[in-house]
Amino acid sequence: MNESSLTLSELNRQVKDAIRDRLPETYWMRAETSDVRRNRNGHCYLEFVEKDTVTQSIIAKARGVIWANIFQMLSAYFESETGEQLSSGISVLVRVSVEFHELYGYSLTVVDIDPSFTVGEIVRNRQLVLRQLEEEGVLALNRELYLPELVNRIAVISSPTAAGYEDFCNQLTNNPARFVFYTKLFPAIMQGERSEASIIEALEKVFHYRELFDAVAIIRGGGASSDLSCFDSYLLATNVAQFPLPVISGIGHERDITVLDIVAHTRAKTPTAVAEFFIAHLTKTATELINLEERAVSESESRLMKEQSDLFSLSRELVYQSSLMLQREVAAVQQLSGKVRYGVRRLLQDQFHILENRAQFMQMVSPANILKRGYTLTLKNGKIVTSLQDLSVHDIIETCFRDGVSTSVIMQVVPEKPQEGD
Amino acid sequence: MEKVTYTEAKKELETIVSAIESGELDVDALTEKVKRASELIAFCKQKLTRTDKELQKILDDIA
Repeated sequence: MNESSLTLSELNRQVKDAIRDRLPETYWMRAETSDVRRNRNGHCYLEFVEKDTVTQSIIAKARGVIWANIFQMLSAYFESETGEQLSSGISVLVRVSVEFHELYGYSLTVVDIDPSFTVGEIVRNRQLVLRQLEEEGVLALNRELYLPELVNRIAVISSPTAAGYEDFCNQLTNNPARFVFYTKLFPAIMQGERSEASIIEALEKVFHYRELFDAVAIIRGGGASSDLSCFDSYLLATNVAQFPLPVISGIGHERDITVLDIVAHTRAKTPTAVAEFFIAHLTKTATELINLEERAVSESESRLMKEQSDLFSLSRELVYQSSLMLQREVAAVQQLSGKVRYGVRRLLQDQFHILENRAQFMQMVSPANILKRGYTLTLKNGKIVTSLQDLSVHDIIETCFRDGVSTSVIMQVVPEKPQEGD
Repeated sequence: MEKVTYTEAKKELETIVSAIESGELDVDALTEKVKRASELIAFCKQKLTRTDKELQKILDDIA
């Protein structure tokens, strides 16, 4: 047996003494939290880790504890200052005392915390993630997606039991304009370390059915607990940014704008606000439709009314013009008929005159008239004798006078001597 | 109504309304356009307010 040997507990006690002597105070320490959990006594156990800034591999690690009475105080303070729950994956600046226990080994006991450091780290981390997304050219992709006019088929990524999900559905269902909405829940864990992977998994499922949806809503009820670190995650952000459907975020956080909010097409504060956004969008769509309808109706109505009045005035014009024409024709006909009547009368008068003249003439040349004037008419055997050649000596002739007839016998016939050149 | 999306229907409707407003249509063409416009409006309104049972079922069936 070696005189100088020690038992483990003796050695551990010496380590413990050495640490207490060498590191007697409390120290402000920067580290990232990991594996944060509370036991039933309210004590908080966790791991502190430090990662290589480039490779992200863990280069230092220590167990830590925050006793229940301290934890109650610090966690409330931390949450009110950062809006974050004191949970895993957070960069913290804590004041610790260095402990060494013979049985439990090395650990750090937290006595104070500086939330402003965490706030700064969150902001810094966000900026890093945003810069990376920008460098990769994906930052604005989802924001630039066209939100169709009709958005009513909505894929909802939420925890199925969250009050926020219920609010969202109620709000949509009871919209005053009675728009129809189709929602489909894609359940996901919305809090804690597993949320990043869970939400991405839900997104992948929506992607599979993307033809059936117009938009994606990522919602989470607010409430006291507000662990937002997963919504600042690069992996989730790059998935959302490159998602082919517009993503509307409503993760129930008033104060901060997470990376998810920035890459999403539209950011609303709460699930109810997301529902209101969809309702407002459809209201705008419906208003545009109604405006178009009114324009079509009023324009075509006034056109038809104008056509009708055109038609009316045309028909009135037609009646007026045709009656005018008719009147003109009637006047013309009347004038013509007058002329005709006059003409006919003239014609008749003329004829009458001619007849009268002729009658006079006839009277004048009638044998009785001629006889009156001293001429006689010679008949032989009842036939008028007009030439001496018809008469011979001893022929008996009758001579008609104005007032009687004498009978004579021809004693001599003396023809007139023919004249020279006759 | 043939298979068109809301956006397509709306676009056609806008074109028709502009044509109506141009005042260059004769009454026959106008009547034709108004008839088509009212079909499109009815289609769009239906899309906004009437539940498509078939779509609802498809969504419900997603596991």
